[in-house]
Amino acid sequence: MKPVATTRTAAGIQTGRLAVWWLLASEIVIFGGLLVSYIMHRLAHPEWADYASHTNTWIGTVNTLVLLSSSLSAVLAHHAAEQGDGKKAAKLLLATIGGAVAFLVIKSFEWTHEIHEGFTITANGFWAFYYVAAGIHASHVIVGAILMGWVAWQANQNRELQRVELVGIYWHFVDVVWIFLFPLLYIAK
Amino acid sequence: MSEHAASHGTEAEHGHEEGHAHHGPKDYIRIWLVLVVLLAVSVAGPFLEIKVITLLTAFGIAVVKAFLVCKHFMHLDVQPKYVLYFLGTALAFMLLFFFGVAPDVMNHEGQNWTNMAAQEEIERALIAQGHGPALEPGAFDAATTFANTCGPCHGTGGAGDGPAAAALEPHPANFTDPAFWADPTRDHEHIVATITNGGASVGRSALMAAFGGQFDAEQIEALAAHVESLNPNHE
Ligand code: HEC
Repeated sequence: MKPVATTRTAAGIQTGRLAVWWLLASEIVIFGGLLVSYIMHRLAHPEWADYASHTNTWIGTVNTLVLLSSSLSAVLAHHAAEQGDGKKAAKLLLATIGGAVAFLVIKSFEWTHEIHEGFTITANGFWAFYYVAAGIHASHVIVGAILMGWVAWQANQNRELQRVELVGIYWHFVDVVWIFLFPLLYIAK
Repeated sequence: MSEHAASHGTEAEHGHEEGHAHHGPKDYIRIWLVLVVLLAVSVAGPFLEIKVITLLTAFGIAVVKAFLVCKHFMHLDVQPKYVLYFLGTALAFMLLFFFGVAPDVMNHEGQNWTNMAAQEEIERALIAQGHGPALEPGAFDAATTFANTCGPCHGTGGAGDGPAAAALEPHPANFTDPAFWADPTRDHEHIVATITNGGASVGRSALMAAFGGQFDAEQIEALAAHVESLNPNHE
């Protein structure tokens, strides 16, 4: 294990994990700013209710289920890594990557359909927020999948097992962002 | 706790391990199940069609789900306190941003200004969506409302040839056909009753919906008069 990432503790926490928390603090501001801007416009524009009614609640629901489940495998991977079982952690991370891929595939079908219906990013303010918020989120899913692939590869050789937890914390955050996007874009119509 | 630190590597590591003492795979699966049930409730909420409940099941549950993930999956509760503080600070800035600008962004009229572009866009979009001035008393135009609201079934000209007409059985009435008006039961009262309470209320098909909730008595009177004016033998 890397000395700096795991042993330096002047801050009372592993340096690697502290770095992840700082990253997430900056992410809160990014997503938070975007979401509260959306909320302001949604509340101020009665005509957006009609635009919002076109999003597909069922696709959103399935994707929420996919992300929640991928968070479960991520935390189980963390548990396995703590037990020193790198191979099992790697397998569970692969399951999480599977969830990420499923999420993206579903999302691409959803977007293709919507764009064909004429709901493009330039259709109106609602769809602009829809694509930007879900798009930035989806880019986090892609980055997460790549990072997990790398961490799983190392974990499979029982190397850098602490990273299983770190990438997991990031992944749960991506899940939490979706937990808020889901009611905003799909439920409150 | 620091006296344990030496033997356990690090203080944080120790606190971390402690938090895990009661978390095994079974606990994680249980929490996941709770999350799935909560998801189901938030999807079911809107079916009650009560706005307050929808908002509660949507956003109340989102907060609970987020809390469960942060606590049990991210183990935020066993991190050093200051981690919570800086995450909280980020959240606080988000709220500051919201409450700082929301009063002006959300109103299209401030103390010293008016956002005319936004007001116009709202009006334009609402009209395009079919619930614009039609609902404003005074600005009600029976022919336009008929074309927008009744047109999909009855045709904009009332000839029973709207885009949905072919799919409806019985077909929507053709008001331009003298045979329709030949039936003496179709007097003014009957037409008003049909529009207000729906086809079923006058022994006709329920495919003809009730519009009493959407238009007031005066507007329905105007719609009925418009329908009657389509009768070729109308004097
Ligand atoms: C969803 C399609 C639909 C819409 C929208 C609709 N109608 Fe109808 N309407 C029908 C059908 C179908 C019938 C035929 C019912 C029957 O013959 O049993 C009908 C029949 C009628 C009749 C004749 C009832 C009779 O005595 O046979 C009137 C009057 C009428 N509609 C007025 C209206 C007006 C005014 C509106 C708009 C405010 C409207 N309808 C909107 C489907 C529709």
